[in-house]
Amino acid sequence: MSEPVFVRFWGTRGSIPTPGHKTRRYGGNTSCVEIRVGELLLICDGGTGLRELGLDLLARGRPNVEAHLFFSHMHWDHIQGFPFFVPAYSPANSLYVYELSPSDDRVQRLLHGQMRSEYFPVTFTDLGARIVGRHFENQRTEFGGVRVRSLQQTHPGISYAYAFEIGDRKIVYATDSELDLLLSDLEEPLRDPQALRRLPDSLVEFCRDADLLIADGQYTDEEYPQKKGWGHARANTVVDLAVQARAKRCAIFHHDPMHTDELVDHKIRAAEARLTHAGSACQVFGAREGLVLKID
Amino acid sequence: MPKPNDDFDPELESTQAGEIAIVAGLGARKKAPVLEQVQGPGAPRSFPLAIDETVIGRGHQANITIESSRLSRRHMAVRRAGPEMSCVDLNSANGVYLNGVRAHSAVLHDGDTLQIGDVVFVFHEAGA
Repeated sequence: MSEPVFVRFWGTRGSIPTPGHKTRRYGGNTSCVEIRVGELLLICDGGTGLRELGLDLLARGRPNVEAHLFFSHMHWDHIQGFPFFVPAYSPANSLYVYELSPSDDRVQRLLHGQMRSEYFPVTFTDLGARIVGRHFENQRTEFGGVRVRSLQQTHPGISYAYAFEIGDRKIVYATDSELDLLLSDLEEPLRDPQALRRLPDSLVEFCRDADLLIADGQYTDEEYPQKKGWGHARANTVVDLAVQARAKRCAIFHHDPMHTDELVDHKIRAAEARLTHAGSACQVFGAREGLVLKID
Repeated sequence: MPKPNDDFDPELESTQAGEIAIVAGLGARKKAPVLEQVQGPGAPRSFPLAIDETVIGRGHQANITIESSRLSRRHMAVRRAGPEMSCVDLNSANGVYLNGVRAHSAVLHDGDTLQIGDVVFVFHEAGA
């Protein structure tokens, strides 16, 4: 498959939507990323950004939508957009929802649950689209020329990263992961903040040579000690993952809801300086709503 | 060539792509979004974005023509979609860089920097 891959950020905020003028540039919608190659549509997470993706899919004028949905986990900020995903209401559309193992029904069960009448006026069973459960086997699945691997992450309640291989392109979506709890020396970032933070080989290999690594880098180094155990990483630790995995581009994702655009800028400038210090050719940037990357 | 009316901003330089400036003067509010060219051939100068799609490149079919060998003939478009303005790479050879990041397209915000070849713009939102 040699067609270009397009990646669009529909929601980049962590934890809770943050509309308003202080977050306009990076955006206030919660996690949702579109990966598109030709007619094939992959969606990572169903945060509030999913609502606008749904509207955009309708505006594209295609007679039907066929989408493959991958959820990092089922915390609210990753599923809240699903009941507002308009294509889910049309019988012409098909949604493939991926579970992590053949015996797992957690994703569909919780999507169903958040649409119980106590929470939402339309129930899951009233959705018109054909919603089909699919599953990984041995952390792998494949469809339409796309190979996908999953990896369990460190997050309260567990989350999963996904590596998408499309032809010779590789995109890793790895949000809601507290990389800092995986470090071989947890205290080293405090003793020597500049030292390379060693991450497990299994994670580095999972991300190896990614054309694009999209990773949770919610906190600055200064903030993290007060947020330890909350399930999110220092942006600088994500940089070190990108360096060790030799990723080509690294999108810092899942911005803290307390961060204004200026604070995200500050976090990204620190990440850029760290990459420069490491002598890496990788490019790091802050994921922002409305940005579309083309991966040839 | 029509004469700009009283709303025309004299600070907006008329260029080979003078049609853009004229359109702004005739039909648009005074504070249309603006691309301020800060580097590259012809800089400094400003281009109001008063039409739904403004194509920038080195070819004469572009709305804004900049004579630089590092630009494709039709390099980048800036489009209006409702209240939003977006940039789109028109399959250029050297790409479009939004704040230093190579982008296929992006929703623009005030102060964003766009680089195409050796040309650098700063985007200013309407009324900013």
